[in-house]
Amino acid sequence: MSTIWYGLKQGVKSIFQNKIFSLAAIGTITACLFLLGVFYVLFSNFQHMVHNAESTVAIVVFFEESLSQDRIDEIGRQIQACHPVEKVEFVSGGEAWERFKQEMLGSDQELIDTFGSDNPLAASASYEVYLNDVSKQAEMVEYIRGLSGVRKVNGSANTADSFSSFNMLIGYVSISIIALLLLVSIFLISSAVAMGINVRKDEIAIMKLIGATDLFVRLPFLVEGVTMGLIGAGIPLGILRLMYGQVIVFIRAHFANLTEWLTFVEAEKEFQVLVPLCLGVGIGIGLLGSATSVRKHLQV
Amino acid sequence: MDNREPAIIRLEKVNMIYPSGTVALRNCSLEIEKGEFAFIVGSSGSGKSTLIKTLLGEVSTTSGCVEVAGRNLSEMTRKQLPYYRRKLGVVFQEFRLLDELTVFENVALAQRVVGVSRERRRRNSMAVLDLVGLAQKKKAYPRELSGGEQQRAAIARAMVNKPAILLADEPTGNLDPENSWEIMGLLEDVHQLGTTVLVVTHNDDIVNKMQKRVIALHKGQIINDEQQGGYVQ
Ligand SMILES: Nc1ncnc2c1ncn2[C@@H]1O[C@H](COP(=O)(O)OP(=O)(O)O)[C@@H](O)[C@H]1O
Ligand SMILES: [Mg+2]
Repeated sequence: MSTIWYGLKQGVKSIFQNKIFSLAAIGTITACLFLLGVFYVLFSNFQHMVHNAESTVAIVVFFEESLSQDRIDEIGRQIQACHPVEKVEFVSGGEAWERFKQEMLGSDQELIDTFGSDNPLAASASYEVYLNDVSKQAEMVEYIRGLSGVRKVNGSANTADSFSSFNMLIGYVSISIIALLLLVSIFLISSAVAMGINVRKDEIAIMKLIGATDLFVRLPFLVEGVTMGLIGAGIPLGILRLMYGQVIVFIRAHFANLTEWLTFVEAEKEFQVLVPLCLGVGIGIGLLGSATSVRKHLQV
Repeated sequence: MDNREPAIIRLEKVNMIYPSGTVALRNCSLEIEKGEFAFIVGSSGSGKSTLIKTLLGEVSTTSGCVEVAGRNLSEMTRKQLPYYRRKLGVVFQEFRLLDELTVFENVALAQRVVGVSRERRRRNSMAVLDLVGLAQKKKAYPRELSGGEQQRAAIARAMVNKPAILLADEPTGNLDPENSWEIMGLLEDVHQLGTTVLVVTHNDDIVNKMQKRVIALHKGQIINDEQQGGYVQ
C-alpha cells in the first residue's frame, strides 16, 4: 500500500521535474489519439451512412415481355438464394404505376386523368433486390443479367463502389499516420522517463543499497509513463466530446440539401467506444514507453 | 566441540576480478564474529571498497565463498538481494543523503523502502535521530548541515532498520579530526548496542588509539589481521 502511494507521488512529481520532455510526450499522444478519435468518428459515421444507404439502394430487375409468372417466380427464388441478398420484393405493373403517379405526377389530377384507366407500365413488373453488403452489387447485377428471361437490370453501382473504396482509403491513411504517431509517442515517453531515471540515478543507487525492491524503484517511472498516457488520452477525448455535437450541427446547417444522406451516430454510442479505446491506447503507450526505459536503464 | 556461534561474515578464498581485468581481491579469507568491531585499512586501490561492495552484493566474486548472516551470496537471486540488504546498514565517505529531502525524510525513507507504517516510521526515525544527536535538526536539509552532521544523519539512516551489520566505507574521509572522532564515537556507540561494525579508514591516529581489530589489505590481499592492532601502512 505504502509502496503504491509512494510510486504514485514520485511518478507524478517526476513529470513536473522534466517538463519539456513530458510536455512533448503528452502533446504527441494527444495528437495521436485526437487523430485516432477523428478517424474513428469519420469511419463509424461513414459506416453508419453506408449502412443507411444500403437499405435504400436497390437493384431493379425487369423481365422480358410476356414472361410467364412461373418463370418470374423462379427468377425470384434464384436471386433470393444468393448470399448477399437481404430481400427481394415483387412490384407488379399496377403497383409500379401507382408509385409513379404518386412520386412523379403528384397531385396533378388533370395530368393523371389524361391516362384514363390505361396503365402505361402494365408490362413493367419488376423485382427490387436489397443487398446486405453493398460492395457485392456489381457482382449481383452481373449475375442477374445472366439469368434467362431478364430484360434489364438497374443498379446504382457507382455509389456503392465509391463508398467502399473511400472507406478503404481512410482506413489505410489513418492506420499509417496513427501507427507513426504511436511510435513517436512511445519514443518520447521512454525518453522522458530515461531523463527522470538519469536525474535520480544517485537516489536510485541509494535506495537499492538500503534494500528497495525492484518494484519499489520502478513503480514511480511506470506511473510517470501511464500518467502521461492518461493525460494524453483525456485531452483529445475532451476536445472530441465538445466538438462532436457542434460539427454535426454545422454540417446539417451547411449541407441541408443532403439531410436525407447525412445520418450520424449518436454521441453516447460513439464515446462508449472512444473512451475505453483512447484510455486503453494511452495506458498502453505509457506502459510500453516507460517499461522500455526502465528495462534499459534500471538494470543495476 | 566448538560451540561458538558461526561467524556473521565469512570469506573463503575470495577472488574478485573486475571486467577490466583488475584483480581487486586476491585469495581473501576472513571471519568476523557477531558483535565485533573491526577496521579495514590499506592504501588507495588496495581493494577495501571492493570488499564492502562484495558484502553488499553490489559486485559478485569471481571465485570463492562469501557468507553473511548465514547466507551464501553467490547463491542469492536478484529477487532476494533487497531483503538481504535490509540486514545491513551502510555509510559512505560522501554521505549520499538525498538533497531534496529533510534529515527526517532521509531517515524515514529507509523505513518506507522496507514498508513500515507511517506512525512507526515516525517513531523509529525520531528514536534513531535522538541516538545520533540530530533530533533538533530533523527538519533541516542536508545542505544546511555541517559535514559531521550529514554523516550522523547518514548513520541514522543506516541504523533505522536495526541492521545486524553496519558497513562504513571511509566515513571520516571528508571530515576534520574533531568531527572524525565524533563519528567514530558514534560508531562505537552503535557497536555497544550489539551491532557488528566494519569500518574502512585511512585515519591512522584513530586506528592506533581505538585498539580494535585491524585487517590490512595490500593489492587485494589480506597482509595482516590483528586483534587490538595498530595502523598498517
Ligand atoms: N568498477 C570498477 N571497474 C574496474 N576496476 C575497478 C572498479 N572499481 C575499482 N576498480 C579497481 O579495483 C582496485 C581496487 O579498488 P577499490 O576497491 O576501490 O580500492 P580502495 O577502496 O581500497 O581504494 C583498484 O585497482 C581499482 O582501480
Ligand atoms: Mg575506496
